Amino acid sequence: MKGLELFEEKFWRPLSYFGLTHHFFNINYSTVVYTWIVIGILITILIPIYIILQRKPGLIHFIVTSFINYFVDLSKQSLGFFSLTHFTFVTAIFTFIALCNSISLLPWMEEPTKDLNTTLALGIISFLYIQFYSIKTNGLKAYVKEYFHPFFIMFPLNVVGKLASVISLSFRLFGNIFGGVIIAKIYFGAIEGSWLTEIFGIPLGLAITSFFGLFEGFLQAFVFTMLTITYLSTAVAKKSKTPTKSGEAA
Amino acid sequence: MTEIVEFLHYLSIALVVGVNSVAVGIGEGITGAAAIEAIHIQPKAKNDIQTTAILGMALVETAAITGISIAIILLLGTRQADKTIFLGLSELGIALAICLSGFTIGIVSAWPSSQACLAIARQPFSGKRLLRFMLITQSMIQTPVIFSFIIAIFIKNQSLSANTIAESLRLIASGLCIGLGSIGPGIGLGQFGGQACNGIGINRKSYGKIFSFTLISEAIIETPIIFALVTALILITTQASTLLQGIGMIAAATSIGIGTIGPGIGSGKAAAAACKQIAKNPAIYSTLAKVSMFAQGMIDTAAIYALIISLSLIIFG
Repeated sequence: MKGLELFEEKFWRPLSYFGLTHHFFNINYSTVVYTWIVIGILITILIPIYIILQRKPGLIHFIVTSFINYFVDLSKQSLGFFSLTHFTFVTAIFTFIALCNSISLLPWMEEPTKDLNTTLALGIISFLYIQFYSIKTNGLKAYVKEYFHPFFIMFPLNVVGKLASVISLSFRLFGNIFGGVIIAKIYFGAIEGSWLTEIFGIPLGLAITSFFGLFEGFLQAFVFTMLTITYLSTAVAKKSKTPTKSGEAA
Repeated sequence: MTEIVEFLHYLSIALVVGVNSVAVGIGEGITGAAAIEAIHIQPKAKNDIQTTAILGMALVETAAITGISIAIILLLGTRQADKTIFLGLSELGIALAICLSGFTIGIVSAWPSSQACLAIARQPFSGKRLLRFMLITQSMIQTPVIFSFIIAIFIKNQSLSANTIAESLRLIASGLCIGLGSIGPGIGLGQFGGQACNGIGINRKSYGKIFSFTLISEAIIETPIIFALVTALILITTQASTLLQGIGMIAAATSIGIGTIGPGIGSGKAAAAACKQIAKNPAIYSTLAKVSMFAQGMIDTAAIYALIISLSLIIFG
């Protein structure tokens, strides 16, 4: 989209040698680099935790188990049953998005989620996961029947209703993080120019960064996860013989 | 021509201060009346009620403070030589952004504080908790005002370089977008915040559940505002070369602006109803929260349709 380059982004055109120079083939390499850094941080945290968990209980043991127990309870309550697959998917998505949103607290880092490509990818992942398990639970026939649910003419509306969940998930995350980034940039732009305001403006700047990084970031990650679980719970619910649920259940 | 320019310039300044002050006056009146009623019900909790009412009023005043700071920026930041008809028209965009959001938020943000005062009268021993809760809900309600302020600053920066009628229309569209877009979600947030404070007043043991529900629900109710903000930012960053493009941008802003009113109010109503039931019966919290979130996700779909239409109007228009 041409309008979304609010700040000048650095692009890598890998296929320009072959004449493919359209925006579609550009790679925003800051997003790619920061996403890989997030993945690297996750791995370097998780491997020691895996080793620590096999020893005797301690503080880290307690923190990790309470985190896991919280998500076990959450998925059990929302889905109505416990499934290791769904639980791991949901927890992984939450951990990844939460770290992505709050990575800007580290110096020289930027959020990968302020790019629409990342959030759209996450939305599509959760959408495809939900569709896959919807087919697996109820069979392909019931899945296709859902699209024509009240009567045949509703097909386009049902398709749009399903696809709207992707846009709803991804734009919600993107808009919130992007808004936070813009507000922080405007604030730091406003205080620069005088050494006095720069020194005394730093605490408020830190407060703004930590509010949008930690509070808003974790909240949006949680909202993304909760909505995924909610959509998943309606998709994998066993349908009764006379389906009364609306086909629009995206 | 000069008279029209001067008229538009001073009209925007007057609107920005006047409309916001009216709304804030009404809002502070609602809070004050509720505080007096609460002290009448429970005179022993008068210190807590007073603190809550004063802090609530201070937060309600955010809209008026935003209005006056924009007015000062407009008054002092415009040189006589810069005044063209395009600048005057662009400043109407600032007026729309600040007035519409400030008027809504000024009245609406009084609902949580008045309900919090009455709730303290019912539950005098959880006064500190209710005060903290009210501060969180009220500061979330102020988000549209802050977004409008940011958009207004952007419009102010760009209005100096606007030299065609299409560019002015683009800046007006940006202000209209965030202004209209904050009406519905603002009302929804206010309703929900009031109901949440009321719910803690009914049953103080449901505090923990209502607290976590509030954080999630307010984030979802706010989503239409985020859509409006994204559209407004896109309008700020694109160029309008022909008059037709400018008119298309006004259409896009109207689309997303009016499209968010229904989803905002509806989402707030759904969450408020769920909150009421959670206060009455905290045992079935997970079911209620799930149904409410599902309903809110469905309600938001209408706002997403509006967003798609307005984005395609901007990009292909």
